[in-house]
Amino acid sequence: MKQHPLCTDCEHAPDVLDLPIPSGLKAEWAAIETRRRFLGRTGKVLGWAALANLLGSRALIGDAHAADTKQQGGPPEGEYLKLPHFAPKAKRAIYLFMSGGPPQIDLLDYKPNLAALYDKDIPESVRGGQQLTGMTAGQARFPIAPSHWDFKRYGKSGTWVSDLLPNTGRMVDDLTIVKSTNTEAINHEPAIMLMNTGNMNAGKPCLGSWLAYGLGSMNDNLPTFMVLQTKVNPKENNQPVSSRLWGSGFLSSEFAGVGLRSGADPVLYLSDPSGVDREVRRHMLDAVEEINRQTLQELGDPETNARIAQYEMAYRMQTSVPELADLSKEPQSTWDLYGPDAKEPGTFAYNCLMARRMAERGVRFTQIYKRGWDVHGDVMGMLPILCRETDRASYALVADLKQRGLLDDTLVIWGGEFGRTVYSQGGLSKDNYGRDHHPRCFTTWMAGGGVRPGITYGETDEYSYNVVKDPVTVRDFNASILHCLGIDHNKLTYKFQGLDQKLTGPVPANIVPGILA
Amino acid sequence: MALFADRLILKDRAARARALGAILLSALLLLLPWMFPLDGKQHADWQQFLGRFHPLAVHLPIGLIVLVPLLELAGLRRPALREAAGFILRIAFICCLGALTLGYLLAYGSGTNGTIVQRHLWGGITLSIGVLACIFARSAWTSHQFPRAYPALLVSILGLLAWTAHQGGSLTYGVNYLTEYLPAPLKNIVGDSKAPSSASFYAMHIHPILDANCLACHGETKANGGLRMDTYDQLMRGGKDGPAIVPGKPETSLLLQRVTLPVTHKLFMPAEGKPPLKPDEIDLLRAWVRHGASSTATVVEGISIPEVAAEPTPEPVGDYSSLRPEIDQLNKGQGVKLLPVSSKPSDGLILSTIDTAPTFGDAQLRSLEKYFPFIVEAELGRTVVTNASFDALSKCPHLRAIHLEWTGVTGDGIAKLAALSELTYLNLTGTRVSAAAAASLGSIETLRHVYLYNTPAQPAPTTESVARNTP
Repeated sequence: MKQHPLCTDCEHAPDVLDLPIPSGLKAEWAAIETRRRFLGRTGKVLGWAALANLLGSRALIGDAHAADTKQQGGPPEGEYLKLPHFAPKAKRAIYLFMSGGPPQIDLLDYKPNLAALYDKDIPESVRGGQQLTGMTAGQARFPIAPSHWDFKRYGKSGTWVSDLLPNTGRMVDDLTIVKSTNTEAINHEPAIMLMNTGNMNAGKPCLGSWLAYGLGSMNDNLPTFMVLQTKVNPKENNQPVSSRLWGSGFLSSEFAGVGLRSGADPVLYLSDPSGVDREVRRHMLDAVEEINRQTLQELGDPETNARIAQYEMAYRMQTSVPELADLSKEPQSTWDLYGPDAKEPGTFAYNCLMARRMAERGVRFTQIYKRGWDVHGDVMGMLPILCRETDRASYALVADLKQRGLLDDTLVIWGGEFGRTVYSQGGLSKDNYGRDHHPRCFTTWMAGGGVRPGITYGETDEYSYNVVKDPVTVRDFNASILHCLGIDHNKLTYKFQGLDQKLTGPVPANIVPGILA
Repeated sequence: MALFADRLILKDRAARARALGAILLSALLLLLPWMFPLDGKQHADWQQFLGRFHPLAVHLPIGLIVLVPLLELAGLRRPALREAAGFILRIAFICCLGALTLGYLLAYGSGTNGTIVQRHLWGGITLSIGVLACIFARSAWTSHQFPRAYPALLVSILGLLAWTAHQGGSLTYGVNYLTEYLPAPLKNIVGDSKAPSSASFYAMHIHPILDANCLACHGETKANGGLRMDTYDQLMRGGKDGPAIVPGKPETSLLLQRVTLPVTHKLFMPAEGKPPLKPDEIDLLRAWVRHGASSTATVVEGISIPEVAAEPTPEPVGDYSSLRPEIDQLNKGQGVKLLPVSSKPSDGLILSTIDTAPTFGDAQLRSLEKYFPFIVEAELGRTVVTNASFDALSKCPHLRAIHLEWTGVTGDGIAKLAALSELTYLNLTGTRVSAAAAASLGSIETLRHVYLYNTPAQPAPTTESVARNTP
């Protein structure tokens, strides 16, 4: 008896594709999910899932185990990753982050010829059809606003520095000034993300996390990476900074920056509540750790390890942080150097002093955020305040590290997320002017281990608008920082989302030999 | 040659004519340098124009000549290839003549001369004659006469080819091109570096600029325009157009005139499309000439070069791999740690006491003795070590940096550190080291960074370098 074509008798399953039917129909048939196929495939999928589960949990436990030995005080992370790649010049770094975008023309990028061009329009050819921010794109004119302040030459290198920064002037022979830093982002959030994480979108690990991950801790009692925020001056135009900037992204959250508060109590709830002594606290933590370890056994999530490590760190910080924040033993010379502001917790000067104390105590990377540099208007009113807050303390930090013999192996970095325009935002008058965001050039400086002191690198055109010599992109800048710390930026990678992720991103980055010692 | 021709192929008249022609051609090539002597003067532009195709054309005969022995060898298995060798050899000879002509035009037209030019020229001429001789030797070889002559000749022209090509390369890229990035140990074997070794401004800053930009054409090997700049005396002597440098007068010094011309100017230097000097290099040259172009002065007024003290390359320490398990064990604890400087064991270990400082004393230091050969940096800041530590520290032969800040050392016995031949950094901040003890450190030549902040030995605070106004 001739069998019906759709009768799928398991013994005599006919091959439909052999039947004399139109090819379109055959294709359709092939695409139809039969029950048999569905069950067959599901079986396979489940098999694979089971296998993946077996292998996966093995792999996870493997990872957890590696992190576990670390938590137990195993080989330092650096050794585990075969880092540093080469003998580093700097063991630690301090990053003074000037959030908002300091105006390079008024501080370090001296353009004496601009005075003659006061209130003239900036040539269209210089702007080169650049897309501006919404804040100035609508302006009818782009009048040149020369710096209100005079500049003087300082040091053996004869570097020109604005009268706003007399103390920075005193240390120019120790600084490596980069006038040609440039970024791709024109607004705060993407620009500050790019500067810190190498990517304009949030979610990637920041420089400090990469260093913590790559180099590990130099001490057992303080975090590897610490963040200090400067108390906000409400008069200034403060752009928000958030913990995304010191987040660890896809790296374990152990490597995220630990922020100290800018108030009197640097870490909240650090002291034991009344009635709980050290002994009780220890027992409690041991019990919590036991529970966490069970969770780790069951789930194998490496983040559980991070949690265990953080509990332990917090316990040790209960003694180390009060000691760190106890400034009573600082000699008078400290206050003479940093100024009276340094006695008030949360000021930039206080944070600089803390950064020096952290450097002495083996903190790998300290980042100080100072907000308020976003001077869209009232440059003449705001800049003196901002410079008074930061100039002396920055100098004090470098000088203090130097006299204590720490500058040899500490890299100090100063910079914001972009520069500011030569043309005035809003009205230009003899009494005041404003400056908009400017990504094409901005000035940064470094000092200490790994960089060449007393030089100025890169040049901008006569309008401080475009870089004309030796441009330094953000990724080159970050690659050079990593280099100072003994890291080849192409080799410090982490597999995530199918990519070997790195701080400098997928676009090729180069270290800048001209600024490196 | 004549004898060879006589015995070999004078059997028929055509062969005799060919041999005669070859001999005449060789003689002509050999006489070329006398017919058009390289007198160091520039000649017609068209000669230079054509001549500049020499570096391009020269690779054709090189390729063909190298092909001949390959074909001969491959011919052992596939005879058809061997037959091609004779043809290739003839083509190679014609290309040799072409490349030679272009090369001669280049040298003659641009007025180049010098030792390497002469060597390259004679190499080229000899090579061409050698290839011609090969053609004849090969026909003898194929008829089984003189079976050794052809292979021997072929091997020697290959050697000659390599030598001549190297001379040509040295002309284009400079003599140091191959050895510049030679790994240091090999470089010591080759043993070069003719750079002046004094610490004068000329030696430190001027000579390197000339070396990088000028010496390829104005040096020992090639003295275009009769000017050599490889030594101070040669530089001051000047060239055919006059003195390159007039001390005190940068405007009239030809050297500065030439490098500051518009790039498109005929007399602009560096010539032949090489990259122009950088503005700061020109500034250095100008300042140096203005202040007398001295060969000995170490400072030139108005110019300060940030001194980047070249750190000596650290001596590699031995391999501590066998101690690795113990070091790892140590690092797992919460006490003293021995951290690798980098992933390379030869970079050594850092002794870190930061977590155990209040209990780390002389006894603890001594107990680490077996690691002493590998320790390059000792972080003993805030520990309770005393003067006795100097004894232990002096037994760490590779020690480069010692941190003793805020410890109880007073400096007795600090002179023992003189045993450390690589010590560059010593931090005594906050100790009670006396001025006398600190002074005794002066005998350690390698020591560059000594920190005495907050000690009795601290030098009196120098007046702050207050902002000076230099318009």
